[in-house]
Amino acid sequence: MTLLRVENASKKFGDLVAVDGVSMTVEPGELRAVIGPNGAGKTTFFNLISGFLTPSSGRIVFDGEDVTKLLPARRVWRGMARTFQITEVFPELTARENLRIAVEVASGYRLKTWLSRDADGEVRARVVDLLDMSGLVDKADRLVGELAHGDQRATEIMMALALRPRLLLLDEPTAGMGDKETYDITQLIRKLHKNQNLTIVLIEHDMRVVFHLADRIMVLAEGAMLAEGTPQEIAANEAVQTAYLGKAA
Amino acid sequence: MTQLILFNVTNGLIIGAFYVLMAIGLSLILNLSNVINFAHGGFLVVGGYLAYTLEPYLGFWGALLASPFLTAILGLAIERVLIRPLYGRDPLYSLLLTFGLAFMFEDGTRFIWGAQGKPFTVPDFMAQSLSTEFFFLTGYRLFMVAMVAVTVTLLFLLLRFTRAGIRIRAGTLDLDTVSALGVNVRGLRSLNFGVGIFLAGLSGVLAGGQLGLEPTMGAGLLMPSFIAIIVGGVGSLIGTLVGGLLIGVASGLTAVLLPSASEAVIYVLMAVVLLIRPRGLFGEEGMLT
Amino acid sequence: MTAAVDKAAPVAANRERARSLAMLAAIWGVLALAPFWMPYLGGYTALGTRVLVLGLGAMAVNFLLGFTGVLSFGHAAWFGLGAYGCGLFLKFIAHSTPLSIVAGTLLGGVMGAILGALIVRRRGVYFAMVTIAFGQVFYYIAFQWSSLTGGDDGLRGFQRAPLDLGFTTVDILYNSTAFYYFVLICFAAAAAVMGFILRSPFGRTMLAIRENERRARFLGIPIELHIWIVFTLSCFFMAFAGSLYALVNNFADPLGLHYSQSGNFVIMAVLGGMRKFWGPLLGAAVFVVLQDYVSSLTVNWQFFIGLLFVVVVLFFPRGLLGFFQQRVQS
Repeated sequence: MTLLRVENASKKFGDLVAVDGVSMTVEPGELRAVIGPNGAGKTTFFNLISGFLTPSSGRIVFDGEDVTKLLPARRVWRGMARTFQITEVFPELTARENLRIAVEVASGYRLKTWLSRDADGEVRARVVDLLDMSGLVDKADRLVGELAHGDQRATEIMMALALRPRLLLLDEPTAGMGDKETYDITQLIRKLHKNQNLTIVLIEHDMRVVFHLADRIMVLAEGAMLAEGTPQEIAANEAVQTAYLGKAA
Repeated sequence: MTQLILFNVTNGLIIGAFYVLMAIGLSLILNLSNVINFAHGGFLVVGGYLAYTLEPYLGFWGALLASPFLTAILGLAIERVLIRPLYGRDPLYSLLLTFGLAFMFEDGTRFIWGAQGKPFTVPDFMAQSLSTEFFFLTGYRLFMVAMVAVTVTLLFLLLRFTRAGIRIRAGTLDLDTVSALGVNVRGLRSLNFGVGIFLAGLSGVLAGGQLGLEPTMGAGLLMPSFIAIIVGGVGSLIGTLVGGLLIGVASGLTAVLLPSASEAVIYVLMAVVLLIRPRGLFGEEGMLT
Repeated sequence: MTAAVDKAAPVAANRERARSLAMLAAIWGVLALAPFWMPYLGGYTALGTRVLVLGLGAMAVNFLLGFTGVLSFGHAAWFGLGAYGCGLFLKFIAHSTPLSIVAGTLLGGVMGAILGALIVRRRGVYFAMVTIAFGQVFYYIAFQWSSLTGGDDGLRGFQRAPLDLGFTTVDILYNSTAFYYFVLICFAAAAAVMGFILRSPFGRTMLAIRENERRARFLGIPIELHIWIVFTLSCFFMAFAGSLYALVNNFADPLGLHYSQSGNFVIMAVLGGMRKFWGPLLGAAVFVVLQDYVSSLTVNWQFFIGLLFVVVVLFFPRGLLGFFQQRVQS
C-alpha cells in the first residue's frame, strides 16, 4: 500500500506560484530524492507535505488518510517526521537532553512516564540506543549548540527518528558540510534506510549523495515536476540536463 | 445633546490625534527595530518641558520648531549609546532598558523642572474660542489637529517617495534582505529612531499647550498608544493611524454616555478586535506575531 | 535542571548532584534561619517576608519567561488580583487565612487562564504588548470600582486571621516571626510544585519551546496548548504570591496591578538570573533591599530604580548568578 500520495498539489504566494500541480507517490521502504535547481520549489513542496504550509489546491494523503488540513503536530503523531534545511535543534541543551525530549514526546503524555521509575528507565535506554546509532555517545553531555555542524545535523536526524516515524522527511541533510561530514551523514541515512527499512524522502543538492542513496528521483523545476524515475533514467534524461545546465550557464 | 456629542467627538478626535502622533513614532521604532520603546512617553515629556524652557527666548513658534529637534538629538544619542548594542538580542532587553529610562526621565523631569505642573502658553489669538455656540472649538485645538494631519501626511509622503523612506518600509517587511542588498541598517535604524522621537517631542509640545505640562503626562499617553498599535495591527502605520483615531473617538463618545467607562472602553475595543481579528485591523498574518 | 545520569561519566554526575544538594541545603538553611540572622545585618523580619513573597512572584514570571521563553509584561495583574481576591474574601466573606489564599489564587489564576486562551497565538514583542495592555484593564477596574476596592486608596479593613490547626492556634497577625514561617512554608510548597513540573517531561517540553519553537512543533508538541498551560500555571503561582502579599500588608494596593509592578517582577528575574531556578529569588532580595534603602535616602528613588534596570541590561544580562558562574569558570 502506498505510504504517501501527493495529488496535484499547488502553492501560491500572491501571484507567485511556488509549487504548481505536483503529484508524487512514495511506497513503503522507498528512499526518494527530490532534486532541482535553486528556487524550484523543493522546500515549499516539503512544507506542504509536513504541514508547515497548507496547499492552495490539491491533496496530501498519508497512509490512506487525507492529511491536507492537519496541523503539523497531528501529522507527527500519525508518523511523519522532518528535519530542516537550516539545522533546528535545542542549542542550549545537551545532545542527550535533545533526544530525551523527542523520546518523551513520542511516548505520549501518560502520567506513567512522569511518575514511574521503570518508564523513566525505558526512556533513558532508548536515548542511549539512539546515541549509539548516531555515534554521538562521546558528545552526549555537551551542549548541542557547541557541537560541530555535522553532529548537530546528526542530532536533528536522530530526534526525528526518536519519534519512530514511518516517513522521514530530510531537507538537504548535507547542506553546508565538508566531504567528511557529508560522507558520515550519508552513511547514517543509508543505515537507517537499510537496517530499519525506513521510508525516506529527501531534498538534496549534492548529486553524489542523491545517486548513492536514492531508489527513485523526482526533479522539480520552476515549481512543476520535470521528470521522475530511477537514478539511471534521470541521469539520461535530456530535459533534466538542460534544466541544470541551463541554470548553470 | 447634539452639542454635547459634538463636543465629545471633537474632543475624542483631538485626543485621538495625540495618540496617533505618539503611536506612529512608537510603531516606526517597533516595526523596524523590534523595540517597544517604553521611554517614548519620557521623550514626550522632555519635548514639552524643553519648549517651556525655550519659549521665553524663542517665542511659541521657535519653541515649537526647536524642541522636537532637540528631543530627537537626545533620542539619537540614547539610541547610539544604549539601545544599539541590544539590537539582535532578545527584545526583552531593549524593553527593560527603555522601561528603566522611562523611570529616569520621569524622575529627572521632576528633579529639573519640579513636580508641580507648568503652563505652556500659546499665542492669544489661538486661545480664543472660534464660535460661541461651539465654545470648545478653540483656535489652538484646530491648530493641533492641523499640525498632526500635516505631520502625518508628510511622514507618509517621505516614507513613500524618498529613498530612506522606501528602505525603512522595506526593512519593516524583511530586514535581512534589505541588509543583504548593502543598505546600512544601523544608520537606517538610527534615522528611523530619530524620526520616531521627533514625533514624540512634537506631541509633547502640542500636548503642553493644551493640557499644561506634568512629569507624568507621558506615562498616561503610553498605554493608549500601545492599544492604538494593537488595534490597528502591529506592522501597519495606516493601522496605527486608524487605531489611534478610533480609540480617541470611542473614548470621547463613551464620555457622553457612561463617563466612568471612558478609559475602560479602549481596552474593551482592544479585546474585541483581538477576538475577532487577532492580527489587528490592518495587520498582516505572520508579521511579528 | 535534571542532570542526565547514565553510564557516561558517573563521577562528574555525582559531583554535580552533590553540589546541587549542598546548594539546596544552603538556600533552605539561610531562609529557615532568616529571623535570627537578619537583625544583625540591619534587616527586619517583615523585610524577609516581603522578599519571599516578591521572590515567589518573580519565580512565577520566570517560570514563563526563563523556562518557556515567553515574555509576559502584565503579570502584576495576576499578582494584584490574588491580593484583592484574598483581601475581599477576608473582609466580606469569612475570617480564614487559608481560605482567603485559596480565593485569591483562584481569582487570579482563572482570570489568567481565560486571558491566556485569547492571546496564546501572539509571540515575542506582540505578546508582551498585549499582556501589558490587558494587565492595565485590571488596574483600571481596581482604580475605578472604588465602592468595592477602595479605589485609589487601596483595599483596607481586613486582617490576616490566626491559623487554627485544630489542637492549637498560631497567632500570625502580631507575631511577625510566626508569620514569616507561615509564608516560608507556603513559599516552599509553591517552589516544590514548580520544581517538580520543571523536572518532569512536561517541563522539558517547556525548555524545548524556549530553545526552538519550530523544532518543538515538528516533534509533535502542541505548542499553543503547552504555552497556555504554562501561562495559566504561572498565573496561579502569581496569584498565590499576590494573596500572600495582601496578608503581608493587610492591604491591597491598586499600584500592585500596574504595569510598572510587572516590570519590577521581570527585572527581579533578570537581575538574579532567568535561566536559574533560584535566580529570581536572589533578584528579589537584591531589588527589595535596594528599593528599601534608596527610598529612605531620596525622594527621587525612582530614578535610581530606572538606573538599576539600565545597569542590569547593559552589564548583567545573564543575571547575578550567571555572572558569578562565568567568573568562576574563567
